[in-house]
Amino acid sequence: MLSLDFLDDVRRMNKRQLYYQVLNFGMIVSSALMIWKGLMVITGSESPIVVVLSGSMEPAFHRGDLLFLTNRVEDPIRVGEIVVFRIEGREIPIVHRVLKIHEKQNGHIKFLTKGDNNVVDDRGLYKQGQHWLEKKDVVGRARGFVPYIGIVTILMNDYPKFKYAVLFLLGLFVLVHRE
Amino acid sequence: MAAASSQGGRAGGGGGSSGAGGGSGCGTGSNRSGLLDKWKIDDKPVKIDKWDGSAVKNSLDDSAKKVLLEKYKYVENFGLIDGRLIICTISCFFAIVALIWDYMHPFPESKPVLALCFVLFLFCVYVVYFPLNFICTYFVMMGILTIYTSYKEKSIFLVAHRKDPTGMDPDDIWQLSSSLKRFDDKYTLKLTFISGRTKQQREAEFTKSIAKFFDHSGTLVMDAYEPEISRLHDSLATERKMK
Repeated sequence: MLSLDFLDDVRRMNKRQLYYQVLNFGMIVSSALMIWKGLMVITGSESPIVVVLSGSMEPAFHRGDLLFLTNRVEDPIRVGEIVVFRIEGREIPIVHRVLKIHEKQNGHIKFLTKGDNNVVDDRGLYKQGQHWLEKKDVVGRARGFVPYIGIVTILMNDYPKFKYAVLFLLGLFVLVHRE
Repeated sequence: MAAASSQGGRAGGGGGSSGAGGGSGCGTGSNRSGLLDKWKIDDKPVKIDKWDGSAVKNSLDDSAKKVLLEKYKYVENFGLIDGRLIICTISCFFAIVALIWDYMHPFPESKPVLALCFVLFLFCVYVVYFPLNFICTYFVMMGILTIYTSYKEKSIFLVAHRKDPTGMDPDDIWQLSSSLKRFDDKYTLKLTFISGRTKQQREAEFTKSIAKFFDHSGTLVMDAYEPEISRLHDSLATERKMK
């Protein structure tokens, strides 16, 4: 058997300690998960942190910026404001600016969006036959942002092997190392 | 440092013999499952990275536990540890419930359940990771213990019983707790004795530099460590007899 010294600690553990190491790992994963869900509850948005993937909103937002969103029911959508929305059937949210709004007496809204850096409005992106977006498509409004940090997320999505390698090494470290 | 390194020469032989059973037993594995034999290294002398504070503290704690359990034949009480494990398991369970509920009922409807799980999870984490040592001393069987990687807190890592030989009196309880500040070399070990009969509590402790117990390569020298534990134990045990 290979003499892997870093496993020595693990070999000396009894059943309870081994279970505790696994639990430790579970607690870390659970904490990350619960922080995400907690953010979802607090901000009211189903995706409270998003990364800008394209340069369609330059010079306001660049590719790789991290955005913090909230989705309060009271926030009115007005022309000129930036919203993050999701098109039905697609899972990637888009960050663009509101161009036109149709509003009914009962508060029902239909709006059109366009990216600052795009030539045409977003009708080409919408679903077949869809010409307007509605409140239910909105994921949130950007309340704050951190520049460049999202590049890591983009890298991890472009090179999934890198992501799995990092996660695997982290997981291994947590499992083997006693606190 | 000089005292520790001069005993380094004897570490190989001394460490092996003061562990449980001789080193020669491991070589033959013909009776038991060979793989399990090779995996368990209870008899090897403990070697850790001497610059890693938490590894040092863990190895000192484990060896103190080993001395009390093997030399004096006390029985470990797992109540505290089990309580901690159960609370952690329950908090992971809440996180999983939140995950599944959110998956089954898309977001806005799942908000109340998510909020509830989040609060319960936070509560479990709080209970596990913040110190409740004063209560623990008295609620030894059912106490909820905490580990708390902070700088001054002492944490109880062993609760053991001495079964009364006559079987009439309730068991005496021995507790070990220790502390090692970050980036400091002074290790404090405290042994608490709670008499089963009188419910009286007595303590003894020592604070020594970890350099007294480890040699330069990071091997724990039981020859230097075990007498300290025995001295603590005997000082509490003899007091009992004199009274």
